[in-house]
Amino acid sequence: MIDRIALVAARELRAERRQPDGVVAAVTFIAVLVLLESLVVGPQIARDADVASALFWLALAFATILATMRSFDRELEDDALEGLVALPGGRDALFGGKVLSLAVVLVLVAAIGGLLSLVLLDLAVALPLHLLVVVLLGVVALPPIVVVDVVLALRLRARAALVPILALPVLVPQLVAATRGTSAALTGDALGALSWAGLLFAFAVVYTVVGLTIVPAAIE
Amino acid sequence: MIETTIPRGTPLPRIRPWLGIAAAASFVVASAMALFWAPTDAVQGDVYRILYVHVPLAWLAYLAFVVVFLASVAWLWTKRPFFDAVAVASAEIGVLFTGLFLVAGSIWAKPTWGVWWTWEPRLVTTAIMFVMYVGYLLLRGLSTDFSRRATRAAVFGIVAVIDVPIVHLSVLWANSLHQLPTVLRIAGSPALDTPMLVTLMASLGAYTLVYAYFMSARVSLELARQGRLWTRT
Repeated sequence: MIDRIALVAARELRAERRQPDGVVAAVTFIAVLVLLESLVVGPQIARDADVASALFWLALAFATILATMRSFDRELEDDALEGLVALPGGRDALFGGKVLSLAVVLVLVAAIGGLLSLVLLDLAVALPLHLLVVVLLGVVALPPIVVVDVVLALRLRARAALVPILALPVLVPQLVAATRGTSAALTGDALGALSWAGLLFAFAVVYTVVGLTIVPAAIE
Repeated sequence: MIETTIPRGTPLPRIRPWLGIAAAASFVVASAMALFWAPTDAVQGDVYRILYVHVPLAWLAYLAFVVVFLASVAWLWTKRPFFDAVAVASAEIGVLFTGLFLVAGSIWAKPTWGVWWTWEPRLVTTAIMFVMYVGYLLLRGLSTDFSRRATRAAVFGIVAVIDVPIVHLSVLWANSLHQLPTVLRIAGSPALDTPMLVTLMASLGAYTLVYAYFMSARVSLELARQGRLWTRT
């Protein structure tokens, strides 16, 4: 199983490297939002640790949706989904591989988006290592839910509107934990940052297990 | 073509009129108890009486979504259309009761907290639960093929129900403005006067019967729809 998941993830990453439109769209989206935030609420409010963290994670959630939808669009354009699903254990491998590859892609997106936020908003980081842990676990906690919802909305009309409606309410605990954890790391609250990071890890494990258990049934 | 497994000779149509009468009668009795028999609260005055509507609505909102979860698991397990009918019926009724639960809470909040709405964890999470199940119904509405629609909705129904315990526990986790549980407390007996507790239990029973009546009617309708679908195919 792990071999097949790694195989699908490697295939995804290769496709993303050859045609990196998902990453480019996600990074551009975050950059636009950071710029808009400063313009709309003013630099003083935008530099507040809670506000900057909340916007970063909301932007990353939308970026995850964009990257995931692009990833499945690529499968549909090439008629590759049917072949993948037909393989033994293909459905589990598809879910696991997509989640793994998206986590890797999102680490890149979060790194670029995070650096942009730090530079453009001139944010001071009190606990860089804690921030790194929170961001890594937050990035891992987002894809399982988004992949589930993109699979559910596959080939439906109004899919672009449906996926955020389905995904964002379910992502609320992850977004709250990631925002609070990031804000704690920015302001120097080590215990708070690690507590929220622990919660993010729990969410990542729970939703990955739930996804692996029931998503194969939804892939037709 | 999917093999139809609609239960033949289902007792639903036979018991529904009696269920309706029982629901209506118990609703009238519970409302009379809430308005005239239960004593006035020493702190909140008569405003607290909305509790006899608000708490049963909260119970039904949770119950409805747990039923969605169980029916969704049963559909994925057995692929019997009856379970999909139960899931959609419970989701629609759950959305209705969650909406009323939010409205009743808001009406109670204005005289008690001084605001119609506050960003309190349980309120926000309940509103999110409401939106989530509207999304569930939207997902169903956009799918055309019966089997795919039922499977997609079942998967989402299972994922979404994870939110239900978070709603209930949020009041315990967060430093919340919302009143702490008065009946199901971790330590000690219910912090309610006996007539109040009896009235609350009567209201819970009455509203549960209303839910059961709505369910029987909606499930019958859905089974009839499925029957027409099988006839066409």
